[in-house]
Amino acid sequence: MTVRVPKETEEQPQRRADALAELQSTLARAGELLLSLEQSARRSGPTPVNELQDRLNDVVQDRDELSRRLAEYEQQTGRLMNLYVATYQLHATLDPGEVQSTIAEIATNLLGAERFALLFWNADGTQCEIALGQGLSQDASGFYSAGKYGGGDPAVDATLTDGVLRMGPIDGSEAVAVVPLTVQGAVVGALVILKLFEHKAKLRPEDRELLDLLAAHAASALFAARVYHQTDRKLKTLESLIQLVKRG
Amino acid sequence: MPPRKVLIVDDSKLLHRMFEMMLRQYPLVHAYDGKEALERLAENGDVDLVLLDMNMPRMNGLELLEAMKGDARFKKIPVVLVTTEGSEEQTQRGLDAGAAAYVKKPFRNEELIAVIQRLTGSAA
Repeated sequence: MTVRVPKETEEQPQRRADALAELQSTLARAGELLLSLEQSARRSGPTPVNELQDRLNDVVQDRDELSRRLAEYEQQTGRLMNLYVATYQLHATLDPGEVQSTIAEIATNLLGAERFALLFWNADGTQCEIALGQGLSQDASGFYSAGKYGGGDPAVDATLTDGVLRMGPIDGSEAVAVVPLTVQGAVVGALVILKLFEHKAKLRPEDRELLDLLAAHAASALFAARVYHQTDRKLKTLESLIQLVKRG
Repeated sequence: MPPRKVLIVDDSKLLHRMFEMMLRQYPLVHAYDGKEALERLAENGDVDLVLLDMNMPRMNGLELLEAMKGDARFKKIPVVLVTTEGSEEQTQRGLDAGAAAYVKKPFRNEELIAVIQRLTGSAA
């Protein structure tokens, strides 16, 4: 086979040399451009799109954090509100009956107690009387009958003795919580929560604050109301006597 | 939209105080039993919502609800039962009698406010 090679003219070597020079120059410029782009990319960091995405992620994280904090603040506000209202209402009256009703309302409406007993030692400290009770007719323990707590529940007995707040579950006791009622350091009684409503499975951590508040304020509010009531009654008796003497 | 007027019907002073704190943005009207609630409703023609306890003296929550639903002046006012009743049957009786919703005590503040906002179309 014969290959025919065209005859090289005089201009062709010059053209090849020019094309080669031009190619080399183009390659050099491309190298410079690539280097420049790499340096630019290193200087400016991520591309604008990535930057926006990062910022958006930050905003979403901030929003979630704020929502979480807002929910926490709302719960905190609710807890403080409960404590404030309970304290306010305990000390809003000097009628012993109303103070007892308030204790019952706190147990029912704020703690969710379906069955409870408010116990007070009698004057000579020999018997613990049930000043107020709810749902006790359904209590099968037999500890609470004829208006008295006969003793027998280890948690209640212990709290009535040492004045320590106890929260269930407690071995050998059916009580959900036993709140000591103290006046000037002396235990005068206890609030025994025996059962919560079905829709409230257990006492929540924030309920502990409310139980502490009851321990600190309920007895003193009731004690003050009773003292006022007795004093007021004596005053009225004396006033009646004075009126009688004046008439006589 | 102006704040909506809410009637609180409950025999517990503690709860009334609690609602006052919780619903500061709403004008409130107070009643301590069903009969007093009917009087307050007649006096205040612009009550937008009733928060109703079930167990009360003189006239209980269910009786008040039935009285409201039988009175053309009040039957369109939404009623929210605020109850301690663990019994679903009791709650269902209230809903059957025309209550719009119920909240069980003890409730979380945000839970109650969400129900009120939903029924009155108001925002806190």
